[in-house]
Amino acid sequence: MTLADYKYADMIHRCFRCGYCKFPVNWMDVNSCPAYARFRMETYSCGGRLWLTRAWLSDEIEWTEHLAQILYTCTACKNCEEKCPLSFNVDILNMIVAAKAEMVERGLVPSAVKEFLENIERHGNPYGTARARRGEWTEGSEIEQYQGQEFLYYVGCVGSYDTRAQETARTLGRVLTRSGVSFGVLGSEENCDGNEVNTLGEEALFEMLAEDNVRKFKELGVTRVVALSPHSYNAMKNEYPRFDGTFTSFHYTQLLRDLIIGEKLDVSGGFSASVTYHDPCFLGRWNGEYEAPRRVLRSIPGVELVEMEKNRAGALCCGGGGGNFYTDFLGGSESSPARTRVREASATGASVLAVACPNCMTMLEDAVKAEGLEDSLAVKDVAEIVAAACGTA
Amino acid sequence: MDSIYDSLVEIVGSEHVSTQPEELYIYSFDLGTTEPHRPDYAVAPRTTGEIQQIVRLANREKVPVVPLGGGLSLAGLAVPLKGGIALDLKRMDTIIEVNERARYAVVECGVSQGQLTSYLERRHPRLMHSEPGAPPQATIAGNVAIHGQGDLAQPYGFNSDMVNGLEVVLPTGEVCRFGSCSISPYWYTQHPLPDVGLFLGWAGTTGIITRVSIKLFPCKEILGAGQFVVEDEELIPELVHRITHTEMAHDLVAFSQAIPPFSSGLHHLTISLSADSEKELDFKMELIFDDTLGEYIRRGDGGFLGFTRGQQRPQVSKTSDWRKGGGFEYVGSIMPVETYPECYRRGREISERHDIPYTVLGRVIGMSHAMMFSWTYAFNRADPETVRQAREALHESDDLVLELGGTIWKPGVYGQKLVMERMDPNTLNLMKKVKQLLDPNGIMNPGNWEVGR
Amino acid sequence: MDVVVCVKRVPDASGMDALVIDASRKDIERRTLVAKINDWDEYALEAAAQLKEKAGVSLTAVTVGPDEWDDVLRRALAMGADRAIRVDEDMLAADCHAVSTVLAALVRTLPHDLVLFGAQSEDFGSGQLGVMVAEMLGIPHAALVVSLEVGEGSVRVDRELEAGALESYAIELPALLTIQTGVNRPRYISVGGIRRAMKKDLQIMSVSELGLTAEMLAPQAVLERLETPPRGKEAELISGPPEETAERLVGILRNAGIL
Repeated sequence: MTLADYKYADMIHRCFRCGYCKFPVNWMDVNSCPAYARFRMETYSCGGRLWLTRAWLSDEIEWTEHLAQILYTCTACKNCEEKCPLSFNVDILNMIVAAKAEMVERGLVPSAVKEFLENIERHGNPYGTARARRGEWTEGSEIEQYQGQEFLYYVGCVGSYDTRAQETARTLGRVLTRSGVSFGVLGSEENCDGNEVNTLGEEALFEMLAEDNVRKFKELGVTRVVALSPHSYNAMKNEYPRFDGTFTSFHYTQLLRDLIIGEKLDVSGGFSASVTYHDPCFLGRWNGEYEAPRRVLRSIPGVELVEMEKNRAGALCCGGGGGNFYTDFLGGSESSPARTRVREASATGASVLAVACPNCMTMLEDAVKAEGLEDSLAVKDVAEIVAAACGTA
Repeated sequence: MDSIYDSLVEIVGSEHVSTQPEELYIYSFDLGTTEPHRPDYAVAPRTTGEIQQIVRLANREKVPVVPLGGGLSLAGLAVPLKGGIALDLKRMDTIIEVNERARYAVVECGVSQGQLTSYLERRHPRLMHSEPGAPPQATIAGNVAIHGQGDLAQPYGFNSDMVNGLEVVLPTGEVCRFGSCSISPYWYTQHPLPDVGLFLGWAGTTGIITRVSIKLFPCKEILGAGQFVVEDEELIPELVHRITHTEMAHDLVAFSQAIPPFSSGLHHLTISLSADSEKELDFKMELIFDDTLGEYIRRGDGGFLGFTRGQQRPQVSKTSDWRKGGGFEYVGSIMPVETYPECYRRGREISERHDIPYTVLGRVIGMSHAMMFSWTYAFNRADPETVRQAREALHESDDLVLELGGTIWKPGVYGQKLVMERMDPNTLNLMKKVKQLLDPNGIMNPGNWEVGR
Repeated sequence: MDVVVCVKRVPDASGMDALVIDASRKDIERRTLVAKINDWDEYALEAAAQLKEKAGVSLTAVTVGPDEWDDVLRRALAMGADRAIRVDEDMLAADCHAVSTVLAALVRTLPHDLVLFGAQSEDFGSGQLGVMVAEMLGIPHAALVVSLEVGEGSVRVDRELEAGALESYAIELPALLTIQTGVNRPRYISVGGIRRAMKKDLQIMSVSELGLTAEMLAPQAVLERLETPPRGKEAELISGPPEETAERLVGILRNAGIL
């Protein structure tokens, strides 16, 4: 494909590399593009990525591993779209994903991305663990298979296979049960939602996954889905409709909010701690949901909610998006976005860093260890805090 | 080459040096019309000590060093004209100190305008600095290195006049402190000798600024701007003179542009005011809009478009997208205010001849002592013809500045030559001596201000 | 120049913690396993694809197997192979000599200057196929190739020995090479790419079309039994604060004569 065939040929040259995209909403530093924060070379900023894409597609520069890595360090956090003042800002991520798609088509992706995609295609998850084991996380719990209940509780790959995230998945299950919610899970029948596959530019694989999921949901008569991960929530809410997905999607914090307001969930047991909440990109900037998780936390007696300076639309991405929780292009340094975010959380004086996404959970918990803050900062999912408050921890 | 790379890796670590084609490509560009020139190394140091080692290495190996802040000079002043080391200073982004009483801030060279604005708003809301019109990624140090100005220019002058002190790495590797900080823990004033002037306005050709102390000014509760508009450009110098006499405004900008079409040919005066109370605001507005501008309004020579509260800081600029083209460049100049009408007329003519919608702006410096007048030419990066037209228009504007008796602010190579041609020969000779003294091997941002080496 | 690459379809064992021997005790339980191209063959295919891109060679991919095995050929087509041929015969239970006989017979019918195999397969891992086929074809071969450079009528290769030592050869074509992993970086094949490759031609042949009889394919080696290795002792888990565990570990290593 040459520049002329590139879908966004008419706008990619409009990036001025003025640098607004590196700043958070409150302008306090230039570290809000996670890849730029990690590497601090102009090539890793959004503008750098756009200029390099244009140069590559115009044959001004050749493809190299380094170029591919630069492109794939984008975590799809949307800080750039939030901050770019120009009218094409709504398409910035689309431009990056289209460039990734071109690399995918030419087979020119970094090895870690190749593994990620091949594992999903073969095993339904990026880790390459057997499909047959996807339902093991429910063992020992009361969680039931989906057979037409009101909600399909969709867990996702990280929640199904990562040991820490599995705890969260089980905990949320207990909370839902305690609240009298009628729900079931797909267990080993669950397949990857494809959100990361989409942001990695593998369009045809994403289509396969979406079509497969939509068909499966239809066969099972699913009308409402509650997702553990904002990544799944995002794919199902925004992408699945074009594959004829007609069910309604919720992120679990929205459901918990409604259950608390509707007095079906009693959190009066409380949870005493100062808590700072980290906005996940796929719930926050991608879907505008900043308040539901906060409403949930504020309704718990004993929770003292303190905000990090970069919050809501200005939140710093944990660095796990765009497959980076697996490919780990942004790790290995104290300037990694995850470690930076953990230091920001610690600076609030809070003892608990609350997350609402299993990717954020794994990234930030590792970062807490790397920063040596295990004794002062605990990473907990909102579901885990709620579980403690309603006596089902 | 390899051994230089190895030495750089030893100094800053392998993650902060690159010879990869991608980094070399990006760091070869200025965002304006300057042709790209590839560096041999892209390096991002974290400390003054690292910069010293890099500079010493550069002297030994005779490799150019090109310091880079936000890269927004738009005159190619950070383009590695002779290759060498592109030194990205933005990792040095610590705000060292804010002294409320003496109203100054000490920052490392990589601290951006936006970062300082945000920091002061959150931690020291009664203080502000003079923020230039560039995107907030521009650095404090870079701005004073090119003798810039900002939104407190009237009455406080150029940003480079607001410098209390500098820490500089000389082209030969020594670290020097200029100003009170050279003898005291306080960075509150420029003296004693020698002068910081050796590094301000020299566009990084005499050394690398690693720290700067910048004056801060009162920030009041209410910030806003009134807009006044006239049709006759000849009125502007007189209006500016009278408004500055009131000593009530803190920024005064006259601008005229072809877009939107209804504003073409009109001249807007943006008069920024600040106040801690409605009483103060009313007083200032009365002095300016009633007592000074009232007669023009009554005569029908000018119109008051209203006062808008709230000032967007950092300012957000969309200039680059005016032609949906991702690019613009401007000639900045320091002109006598009385030249505004001619600057406008001639600038408009140049723009129209090059098929570019005209955009001119004059920001008043000090008590109408001068104005920074700019001619902006937007281009479409995907259309080389528009880039060529913009470049031609820019060169013509450079010529125009000198024809009208002004001086070019932060000129690119083309404008530098014009200035040097006209300069007093003894002054030029002194420039040469200074450069040779400070930079005997000619490694510091070479290609710029080459005084007949 | 004509290049032929032989590829095998194997179970993807990465998803399972432990393989299970099936009831016949001559194979593993395959029903729950996903299949994929043999790792070594992926490198061989990539080497062939790069040759095609650089030197415009004609590339044919071949395999011997039942119809599910079409998918590894589709992959080869997606990577740029001009032709793909499958000999329709399930030879999982056959020995290497029989499989080599079929492949040699097939390759003989094709123009071949360079024949590429992966060095071994992920499942049975005998490493014999490529070498046997070379002998049957009567052409020179090099096994465990870690780098190759094709010239006019010859190929320069490096072979991997032990401890990082390499052996270099210049071999006249036609020749056969068995390719070691790490020789290149196999590209990613997109789902879209595979879809497009579905439209390309895939030729099916039978064993009899190659003039082979059952006697010619009689096994020379018969698999008696498949077993899992005996379980070793349990691993010792050392826990506690770092200073203590380090001391204990040092003690254990000293006692074992390692430190």
